[in-house]
Amino acid sequence: MHNRLSCSDCHFGFSSEEHPVRRFKTKRDYSVATSEICRRCHFDKYTRTLEGIHYNLLTQGNLKAPVCTDCHGAHSVYSGRKEKLANAKKCEQCHSEIYNIYSKSVHGGALISEHNEDVPVCSDCHSAHDITDPRTLDFRNTVPQICGNCHANKAIVGKYGLSTDVVRTYLSDFHGVTLGFYKKQRETLTKPTRSIAVCTDCHGTHNISSMRGVSLSVIKANMAKRCEQCHKDATGNFPDAWLSHYEPSLKKASIVFIINRAYEVLMPIMLIGLLLQILLHVWRYAINR
Amino acid sequence: MEYITKDTYIRRFSISRIIEHWLVAIIFISLVVTGLSQKFYTFEPSMWFVMKLGGIDAVRLIHRITGLFLVFLTVQHIFIASFGVIFRGWRPTMIINKNDFTDAVDNLKYYIGLTGQPAYCDRYNYKQKFEYWGILTGVLLMIITGLILWHPISITRFLPGEIIPAAKALHTNEALLIFLLIAVWHIYNSIFSPDVFPLDTSIITGTISRERMLGEHPLELARIEGLNPEDICRQQQSVTVNSDSKIVPVIRVSDSEKLTPKTDTYTDTIL
Repeated sequence: MHNRLSCSDCHFGFSSEEHPVRRFKTKRDYSVATSEICRRCHFDKYTRTLEGIHYNLLTQGNLKAPVCTDCHGAHSVYSGRKEKLANAKKCEQCHSEIYNIYSKSVHGGALISEHNEDVPVCSDCHSAHDITDPRTLDFRNTVPQICGNCHANKAIVGKYGLSTDVVRTYLSDFHGVTLGFYKKQRETLTKPTRSIAVCTDCHGTHNISSMRGVSLSVIKANMAKRCEQCHKDATGNFPDAWLSHYEPSLKKASIVFIINRAYEVLMPIMLIGLLLQILLHVWRYAINR
Repeated sequence: MEYITKDTYIRRFSISRIIEHWLVAIIFISLVVTGLSQKFYTFEPSMWFVMKLGGIDAVRLIHRITGLFLVFLTVQHIFIASFGVIFRGWRPTMIINKNDFTDAVDNLKYYIGLTGQPAYCDRYNYKQKFEYWGILTGVLLMIITGLILWHPISITRFLPGEIIPAAKALHTNEALLIFLLIAVWHIYNSIFSPDVFPLDTSIITGTISRERMLGEHPLELARIEGLNPEDICRQQQSVTVNSDSKIVPVIRVSDSEKLTPKTDTYTDTIL
C-alpha cells in the first residue's frame, strides 16, 4: 500500500554521509519506538490510539501491547478495512481464546465458513484505534447502540430475515428506558452504578448464537436464569413479563395489544366529546348574552 | 320568609372536603409530572425534569411514595362516603340515576337551541358525576396497576408474566386519559367556563352563590329552601328564559327524591 513511499520517508535521519548508530535493548523496543513514525502522516489515527486501552497498557510498561505495525505490518502495510477475516485474525494473535469462542458464534461462523462480510468482527464492536475497556459501565451502556448499528439497519439484517424491531422494542421497554436515563445521568449527575440488562446479557457477547430453531422451553429456561441474576427470587412466570422483542399483536401479547388499541379509540372519542360539549356550552352562552 | 338577595351564599363543601380536594390536587400534580416524564422519556423537558429531581431512580421512588398517599386518600374517601351514606343518612348525591342521562340530552337540546331551558340538576349534575366516577374508577385502576408494576416479582409468583406489560399498558394509557380529563374538562369547568370565569371559588371558600345554585343546581336549592322544585324552576325561568319562549319545562324527580322540605339547610354530603 505504501509503494509510493521511499525507505527514507519512514527511516529518516540517515543519509549516505551519516548513519548514526542507535541502540535498542530488544527488537521489540525498536518496533515500539519506530511506530511513532506513523503519526507523521496518520496523525488522526495516532491521536485516537492515545485514548485506547492498548496505548494505555504500553505506557504502563506492557510491551506486549500492540503498536501500529503489529496490526498493519511494517513493510507490507495494508488497510485494515480490506478483508474482515484478516482483520479479526490480527486480534487473534493475542486474544486467541476469545477468537475461538467468536469463531463458533453465529457471527464468527458466518465470517469464517461463508466469508460473510455483513457480520461484525472485533473492531466493529470494539473499534480499532480508540479501543476502550469493555468491562466498564460506560461501554456496557453503549451496547444497544453497537448492536443497533446492524440490527436496526434493514439493509443489513433484512437480508437474513431478521427484524429491525429488536432494538426499538428493547429501548422502549423498562430496561431500555432506564438505560437511556442512566446514560444521561452519567453525563451530568451523580453517576448511577447499577448495571442495566443490555443485549449481551441475554444473547451473550462473543458466543452469540442464533435464536432460530431453539425450542421455546430452552429459551425460557435460559431466560429464567438470566433474569434471576438481577431480579432475585424471580420465578417461572417472571421472564414472560418481557415480550421477547415482539410487538404486541393479536397473536403475541394479545391483552396488551387490545388495551392499547382500546385506548387509542377511547381517548380521542372522550376528548372530542368533551371539547364539543365545551364549544356548545360557550356557544350557548354567547347567544344568550 | 327571609329575604333572598343576589348576594346570598349557600354552603356547598365542608372544610374536610376542601382540604381533601387540595391534597388530591397536589398529589395529582406530583404524580402527573413524575409519571408523564417517564412516559414521554424522549421529550426533552422530561429528561430535564428527571435530571433536576436527581435521576430516574429518585423520580420512580417519589412517584411510588406519592402514589401511596393517593391510595390513602382514596381509601379514606370511599370509607367516609360509604360510612356517611350507610350510617349517617347522607344523601347519596353522586349516585348516577336515570335523570342524569335525560339531563344530558335535555342540556344538549338546550345548547343547540331546541329547547329554551337547560336541565334541572341536583347537587351534582351529570357532568360532575361523569368526572367524579371517571376519576374514581381511573384512580382505582391506577392504584391496582401501579402496585403490580411496583412488585412484578411477587405478582408473577401466582399470575402469568404478561400481566406486567398489560398493567403497564393500562397504567400509562389511563394516566394520560385522567390527565386529559382533568386538564380539559375539570379546568374548563372550574376556571374557563363562562359560568364561573375567572374561577369557581366554591372549593376554596366552601360556598356558592344562590344565583349559581338557581342556575346550576335548582333541585338542591329547592330542597335546601324547602320549596317545591316547580317554584324554584319558575324562578330560574324568569332569569334565563326569553319571554317569547313557549316551552314549558318538564321536571323529572326520581321516586327516591322526597319533596318534603328539609329543615337543616346543609348536610355534609360527600357524594
